[in-house]
Amino acid sequence: MQNNLEKLQEQKSLFACLLITGMAIVCATFFGKEVVKIVTDFTYIPVAGSLVVLCIVISLRFKKTGNHGKAWLLFLATAISWFIAETTWTIYELVYHLNPFPSEADIFYIVGYPFLFLFSIHYLKPFTKLISRKMIISASLIAVSVLIPNLYMTFDNNSNENKLTIALGATYPVADAIILVPALIGIFLFFRGEVSFLWTLLLVGILFEVIGDTGFQYFTLDNSYYTGHPVDILFIWSYVMFSFGVYDHIKIFKKDENVKQNKLLDN
Amino acid sequence: MNFDQDQLRKAIVSLAIEKTLLGIGKPVYEKTIKQLSKEYGIYLPECYDHPEYLNKVLKKIFGNAHITIIEAIKKELDEHLTEKPIETFLIAIGE
Repeated sequence: MQNNLEKLQEQKSLFACLLITGMAIVCATFFGKEVVKIVTDFTYIPVAGSLVVLCIVISLRFKKTGNHGKAWLLFLATAISWFIAETTWTIYELVYHLNPFPSEADIFYIVGYPFLFLFSIHYLKPFTKLISRKMIISASLIAVSVLIPNLYMTFDNNSNENKLTIALGATYPVADAIILVPALIGIFLFFRGEVSFLWTLLLVGILFEVIGDTGFQYFTLDNSYYTGHPVDILFIWSYVMFSFGVYDHIKIFKKDENVKQNKLLDN
Repeated sequence: MNFDQDQLRKAIVSLAIEKTLLGIGKPVYEKTIKQLSKEYGIYLPECYDHPEYLNKVLKKIFGNAHITIIEAIKKELDEHLTEKPIETFLIAIGE
């Protein structure tokens, strides 16, 4: 009963965070593109930073022990990489007044994906026996289907953007689709388990990324993207989803006071 | 003699569970112990007599995937399968 209440409370906080971040950007839009740019850039930093802090906490809890210990270190690497990317983007835009896409920020965004994929692999490793070929094929088909709109846009556009920019824009949804496969498998594996909340939020977060990246590509090709565009809300929400997923895991696997006391008595 | 054998089997089963859970992560092991104690008032060696409690706790944490953890525990106990009480334990834990 207490667990259910805690879960409900956590979900309330999650929805509040989504509402606050979304409303902040929507409201800032009414004050013009310069204001929404500043508000969005300054929203990304604490949101991505929170994910780093939470990943540090869970990594310290697992201390490299077992497959999940390694998995959380890899997730931390993703969070750090994306935090650096967000900071670089903000510096480019607010300090140097340059267009941050494409820029060095993209290197850090892209580097985060292999780490996230490896996180999923390490997390799911103890449960591989349950992963069937059919499951992998089904998850891959779903992942490919979410890619179709982006691929269509990439190959059928009349944009003036250079080929590198178009290719880079298309890379993100492809990377999202790849990490979507283990996330879908995770949902199936941990169905009805306490850890399923993390995998649900990871999946929703990745789906936000897929839609966000597809939208980003579309509006970049259309030359109508600006920082603070509604697609940015989806990117911020994906960080919020990831953060709440990690936070839930911290709560599930928090150190038990009795275990601590027993250890002290043993010593 | 029987009492000693039983204690030994309890220790073997405990070690197999511990090794499997530590392979996933120390906090997973600690969480399982905590849940066993909190929900059923038992410690790890007592899972030998109540394998269904361990099954329930693992299912609560990992959902469908708890089956693979049980399979891993079974694998750890492979060499003791010839012993009837361990075989009984393994059948019960898988139910």
